[in-house]
Amino acid sequence: MAEERPAKWGLVVDLDRCTGCNACIVACALENNVPFVGEDEVAYGRALYWIRTQRYWEGEYPEVTPTFQPVMCQQCGNAPCEPVCPVYASVHSEEEQINLAVYNRCVGTRYCANNCPYFARVFNWFDYELPEPMRSYLNPDVTVRRRGVMEKCTFCVQRIVRGRQKARAEGRELRDGEVQPACVQACPAEALVFGDLSDPESRVSQLARSQRRYHLLEALGTLPRVTYLKGVGNHGG
Amino acid sequence: MSEKISRRDFLKLTAMGAATTAVMTGCGPMSRYVVRRPYTQMPEYNQTGESTYYASTCRECPAGCGIIVRTREGRALTIEGNPNHPVNRGRLCARGLTAQQGLYNPDRIRAPRFQGRSNPATPGRDLTWDEAVQVVATALQKPPQRIAFLLGLAPDHLYDLVSELTQALGAPPPLRYNALAALEGRTTLIEAVRRLFGSPALPYFDLAQAEVTLAFGADFLQSWLSPVTYTRAYGAMRQGNPRRRGELIVFEPRQSLTAGNADRWVPIVPGSEAHVVLALGQRVAELRGLPVPEAFRAVRPEEAAQVSGLPLEQLETLAQTFATATRPLALVGGSALTQPNGLVTAQAVLALNALVGNLGQPGGVFLSAAAATPTPLAEVKALVERMQAGEVDVLFIHGVNPLFEVPAALGFEAALARVPLVINFAAFPDETALKSDYLFPDHSPLESFGYQRSLAGSDRPAWSALQPVVVPLYDTRATVDVLLAAAQASGQALLPYRDEVDFIQQKILPLINAGGFYTAPEILTFWSRWLQHGGWWTPAAGLPTPTLERLPASFGTLTPPTPPAEGAFYLLTYANHLGDGSGANRPWLQELPDAMTTVTWNSWVEIHPRTAEELGLKDDDVVRITTPYGSVEASVYRYPAIRPDTLAIPFGQGHTALGRWAEGRGCNPAQVLPAGHNAAGDLAFIGTTATLTPTGRRRPLARVESKEGVYGEH
Repeated sequence: MAEERPAKWGLVVDLDRCTGCNACIVACALENNVPFVGEDEVAYGRALYWIRTQRYWEGEYPEVTPTFQPVMCQQCGNAPCEPVCPVYASVHSEEEQINLAVYNRCVGTRYCANNCPYFARVFNWFDYELPEPMRSYLNPDVTVRRRGVMEKCTFCVQRIVRGRQKARAEGRELRDGEVQPACVQACPAEALVFGDLSDPESRVSQLARSQRRYHLLEALGTLPRVTYLKGVGNHGG
Repeated sequence: MSEKISRRDFLKLTAMGAATTAVMTGCGPMSRYVVRRPYTQMPEYNQTGESTYYASTCRECPAGCGIIVRTREGRALTIEGNPNHPVNRGRLCARGLTAQQGLYNPDRIRAPRFQGRSNPATPGRDLTWDEAVQVVATALQKPPQRIAFLLGLAPDHLYDLVSELTQALGAPPPLRYNALAALEGRTTLIEAVRRLFGSPALPYFDLAQAEVTLAFGADFLQSWLSPVTYTRAYGAMRQGNPRRRGELIVFEPRQSLTAGNADRWVPIVPGSEAHVVLALGQRVAELRGLPVPEAFRAVRPEEAAQVSGLPLEQLETLAQTFATATRPLALVGGSALTQPNGLVTAQAVLALNALVGNLGQPGGVFLSAAAATPTPLAEVKALVERMQAGEVDVLFIHGVNPLFEVPAALGFEAALARVPLVINFAAFPDETALKSDYLFPDHSPLESFGYQRSLAGSDRPAWSALQPVVVPLYDTRATVDVLLAAAQASGQALLPYRDEVDFIQQKILPLINAGGFYTAPEILTFWSRWLQHGGWWTPAAGLPTPTLERLPASFGTLTPPTPPAEGAFYLLTYANHLGDGSGANRPWLQELPDAMTTVTWNSWVEIHPRTAEELGLKDDDVVRITTPYGSVEASVYRYPAIRPDTLAIPFGQGHTALGRWAEGRGCNPAQVLPAGHNAAGDLAFIGTTATLTPTGRRRPLARVESKEGVYGEH
């Protein structure tokens, strides 16, 4: 078997396609066993969205319009959350080259969330019990987190691993588009594209070279793996 | 008893067994025609640690998207889109993705039950299914004219079976109603298509290839007809054409998600859509050098400008943009149809498409392959009158929650109390179920067989299949099976079907030779492929082209909207991701921020910030909204993208039943809607005016957004 080339996983968010429908949020939550916290906790800002849509209003009535920007963990190459963790729970994985959370190491200092410029990390303030028989739908590939643990988007690392194992078993390389995080798979507008950035021919690489590209808070030098393509006006693009 | 089997017979049987096993790849946990296998070959759903995927159809709304459910050890885990399905091509919306929270919902009805509805002293009790079938059988022996069926928009196979049953009995045909369909103006659209193009179908708009799209009221990115199809088309319209980015202009009084994504939002007066379309049509015809059809002359442009509040110059610019576009398209739905002028608007928009010659063209209008069933409020009203007059002895309800979904002004609740026998097949203890005599719970959609054949989002003839992905959790039974058993027990030879699967197989039999992307020599093989692929469709896209013989001289009478009195507002309601309200018991749909306001778990009233300031209202102030039909209370949300003379309340909350996550949150706008209908029989509520009274109380809404930066405050 040929030696495997490590993949550099990346995500492109095309804001011209994104409608702000929020299907990604639900797809993510049910794939990753993200608990719902209820009305009061959402009001306190303790909802556990791994991906959220930032909606900003622009303009004045009647030219007012919302802009939508889905924000998830940017999987920084130079991640501010990593060096501050006292227990090495926020680590960079060598194989996927993404930023992962080791839940059983986490002691809940929340330093990482404090240091994340994208507000991508969320904290389990409580244990969120699921009444029977709702536990039946929990995804067995993903750990169920308990109180006091930090969590965040993992690019659905369980799907990456599953795809890689399948390709290995079949003695081939992963095909472009074979591995998709839950949000990408669900996105009805096909605004999210996921793939290997180290393969210049992959769809995600091609889109990440678009003239419309930008990164969130680029000046911080965090080297995000998520590229945004800006929405275009009436006759631009 | 022992049978002697010769060695030769044994070999024959074994070979047959092997052949059958190879064929039954589509067989799942509920397979009724089980093939016996040695224990070393465990059924696929029992292989520990292995995922098994089943293709089925989403039933969270009537669109009928194809889903693939990942199961492990007999549990449904995640729901994914079926990549080959013509409606959604592997994509899903928030509602479809939470279907497992319905399946595993702790508040489901778990067994057939008798409730002491008429006499509170009578305790309810659980029944066996044999007793239940007897109850239904006795009910079916009532005088046929005094039997009524009220069904929802899904599933279609139940509707087909009940249609056959009522025909065999001589009873009135089943009636369908759904709040989502009512809010999207489905019946009006079907009626307009029937009047102009001759067949009662839903139109299919090829948004993906359109270059300039005018949308009147249709919130196709969130709730209208087939939101996943149209969202996919929207993405393609924006970035799929390398030559030109498609342009979208939306006309509606309150900015919906669709209008929020448009290049231009035109907030016209609610109820003036028909005037605008007619005026636009005149100018488009003139600009294209065509004679202006008589029907478009019903309104003068100046009059339209005055009624709609849209200046003439803007009307002219819009007409020019549309008339000069290479691929213009006009869409209509929702708030443009659910009003007294709705049928005029619908016909005018379809005629506008005909005017620019896009019928059957890329980026134009097509007709859905299957006939669509209307869901007219007018017929629900007629049913209520019959119930009220004591002309209904037994009412069967499935898939609809009229006490929540039908405007309270119609008096459904009082009429329901006058029906001596109400049999409800609800899976959840919703408002109507609690007021029924018998609860005979159907399986959850993920435990059911079935099909959807009316697929508004399919670009080709298609049927979508449902199959159980898990063994039923509780003592529930398929309603089709209950009705078939009851029909049999009633002693008459009413229906020639053995059970639900037999019924579906007989219905899909004609598809074997209908040119699908697969076929089979006989029904059992066809059936397993049908289950394996999650339905049947043709290999190539293609839909009937609508043909317009002749435009009528008039689309109907036009009533200009009446401006609200001093201190009153136009009131409207709309469907967001909670749809018709049946999604309110999915906790993740409750937790999901509303796309435009980011509010979770509750209802709100949208008020323009300027209006709120004039009234001295702040965010989270509880106000009372009163119409002649009732009143509701909700917290204020200052919404910058709504007309200052309009209030809006989302639909779907305000349940008094339906389980722990739905009950007691927000308000139900159906309590304040009028029971009137338009010329097509569809609910007409746009133009309703309401007054607003502060209550002096505050109830903070759980918002995800921060108000800092919007209004400079927290």
